Amino acid sequence: MQVFKVFFRIIKKNLGELSVYMIIFLVLAVLLSSINTGSQYNEFAQTKSKIAFINNDKTSALTDGLRDYLNENAIIADIKNDERTLQDALFYRDIEYIVKVPSGFSDKFYNGEKAEIEITKVPDSISGVYMDNMVEKYLNTARIYINNMKNISGEKLTQYIQKDLSKTANVNLSAADAVQTKKYLYYYNYAAYSLSAILILGVCIVMFVFNKLDIKRRNLCSPLKNSSINMQLILGNLTLSLGAWLIIVITSIIIYRKDMFTISGGLFILNLLVFTIAMLSISFLISNIVKSRPATSAAANVVALGSSFIGGVFVPQYLLGAKVLTIASFTPTYWYVKSNNIISSLAVYNAQTLKPVFTNMLIVFAFAVAVLAITLVVMKQRKTVS
Amino acid sequence: MVIKVENLVKRYGDLIALDHFNVEVQEGEILGLLGPNGSGKTTAINCILSLLKYDKGSIEIFGRPMSPSAYDIKRNIGIIMQNVAVFEELTVYENIDYFCGLYVTDKSHRKMLVDEAIDFVGLNDFRKFYPKKLSGGLLRRLNIACGIAHKPKLIILDEPTVAVDPQSRNNILEGILKLNKDGSTVVYTSHYMEEVEHICSRIVIMDKGKTIASGTNDELKSMIKSGEKITIEIFNFNAKILSDLKNMKNIVSCEFADNHLIVKSMRGENNLMVLLEYLKSNNIAFGKIYSEPPTLNDVFLEITGKELRD
Ligand SMILES: Nc1ncnc2c1ncn2[C@@H]1O[C@H](COP(=O)(O)OP(=O)(O)O)[C@@H](O)[C@H]1O
Ligand SMILES: [Mg+2]
Repeated sequence: MQVFKVFFRIIKKNLGELSVYMIIFLVLAVLLSSINTGSQYNEFAQTKSKIAFINNDKTSALTDGLRDYLNENAIIADIKNDERTLQDALFYRDIEYIVKVPSGFSDKFYNGEKAEIEITKVPDSISGVYMDNMVEKYLNTARIYINNMKNISGEKLTQYIQKDLSKTANVNLSAADAVQTKKYLYYYNYAAYSLSAILILGVCIVMFVFNKLDIKRRNLCSPLKNSSINMQLILGNLTLSLGAWLIIVITSIIIYRKDMFTISGGLFILNLLVFTIAMLSISFLISNIVKSRPATSAAANVVALGSSFIGGVFVPQYLLGAKVLTIASFTPTYWYVKSNNIISSLAVYNAQTLKPVFTNMLIVFAFAVAVLAITLVVMKQRKTVS
Repeated sequence: MVIKVENLVKRYGDLIALDHFNVEVQEGEILGLLGPNGSGKTTAINCILSLLKYDKGSIEIFGRPMSPSAYDIKRNIGIIMQNVAVFEELTVYENIDYFCGLYVTDKSHRKMLVDEAIDFVGLNDFRKFYPKKLSGGLLRRLNIACGIAHKPKLIILDEPTVAVDPQSRNNILEGILKLNKDGSTVVYTSHYMEEVEHICSRIVIMDKGKTIASGTNDELKSMIKSGEKITIEIFNFNAKILSDLKNMKNIVSCEFADNHLIVKSMRGENNLMVLLEYLKSNNIAFGKIYSEPPTLNDVFLEITGKELRD
């Protein structure tokens, strides 16, 4: 295990630069998560946005319930049901959001057919996202009851929905553990940044040493099989990655204690693990491209910082433009953060609610595999060149 | 036979780095591979070690064909590369331990070998130093220690004394003689003829990827026409002296530059007395005078028409 041992000697020798990223992360995570506590909910609660509610369908318990529910959290403006008037109101920001129930909506919805509410909103607004969220929540809850309780009366339905939604709203607004969930969401989102930087830097530093032609040739002169050298390097890289992952997980347990031993805590930890594997794969690719030691530090900075910015680590994804998000979707960071956001908003864990989480994890894992394949091609290409 | 290389051809694109190169290394000898920079020494070594693919030829080490997967052959070779190959992140001790550990897995045995190697190259005061803190000469010594710690049967050194202070150079050359005395066969490449003359029992002279001559020091020198070289300091020189000398028998060449007359004589003839007599009878005043036996540079010069030194 000579190679494996030297792997960590090299890491140890560069621990200064590597731990900078860990320290930045811990300070950032702890500071920002405590600053952000709860403020987001207060903000939303206090600044109710003005919306228009247009019902082109017959009056039903479902539509009335929706109207009442929205009315609790927004101000429904009294506005003429006229396309021109509505657009003008939106343009002048008299209202920020239009909910339009198309005719036949309720019947379709009850019958389980595809039924959609028409939404028009001011682009890129936070309140728009918030309203989207509410409409979706209401309809999803309604759907669950209609699907599971055949012939439920309209009255009962709205009653149940009301109860459910007010419950989650209360939890979100006041319960301490919900705030905690938010806290470790920040922690795990920021983790993406320093984990990326540490892995790129660590993997590149070591691989750079072993890929130096003189060292490589010298190793090839020895009776140690080339495959054994490579195995030890792979083992070293894996150990380094899992070590970094473990430090982040253990630190989160120290800070958030029993909150980490929950389903959502477990999902965060698993999500980070999948992300770690993808980042290892990317680091390995970069180590095969980058040619000098200073370039290594630069690559670590640029890639880690860049992907974190566009992936929604520092700025929430709903604040980023559509174009940025499209570009970001070519980084595992984007999918990782997306999963984190979903996990933190989940109140119920079942196949349906967890599906997007696992889909995103699968996408991140696919990144790992694809990048590894590219790396192998790059390595082969280089071999035939020299 | 420890190494047998036959008709080795290696091209880099259009450049033919090795052109039907042949060499044989006998057990127990120190074979010197002498040639100017770019003559193909390193390329030859790299091919012998299976680090480079070659276009033609065959290579046998310890009587068996050499290949990248000939691990039992590699186990018995110690290699000191032209470029120092050590880890910046490891200390002197750790570096030697790493490279020795590629050959020797037993820890306590290895510790003994590493300590011996450190003693051998005289780096005892620098055990905990990182390579960056070592001078050029000490770094070369570390490179050597890394290559020989496991006590290989065959040691290959590629220009181990480039950019080295005289003290380290002596340490290295004496070390190589000692390793040889202790039973190792040595292949030593260099473009310094004095070193090769000093330590090698047999010498192969290379130029442009070919072997141009080989043999012992004396054998090589007896191949060429010119014998001793006589240098005489003369202050009042005239052209007649040159033409007179050129007409004397046993004189191969003579030239004059910077107040020095350089005369090369035929091998085996002592021309010093004749020359002195000529100068005396013609009343030519002279200063310092010295006579040198032929060198490998003369051998190289006579065969290739150019100086070994560039
Ligand atoms: N990787 C390479 N690509 C192209 N040409 C090379 C390469 N390595 C060496 N050469 C050329 O091959 C010739 C022999 O080089 P080398 O074996 O290093 O000579 P030496 O070790 O005797 O100084 C030189 O002309 C050198 O320029
Ligand atoms: Mg060379």
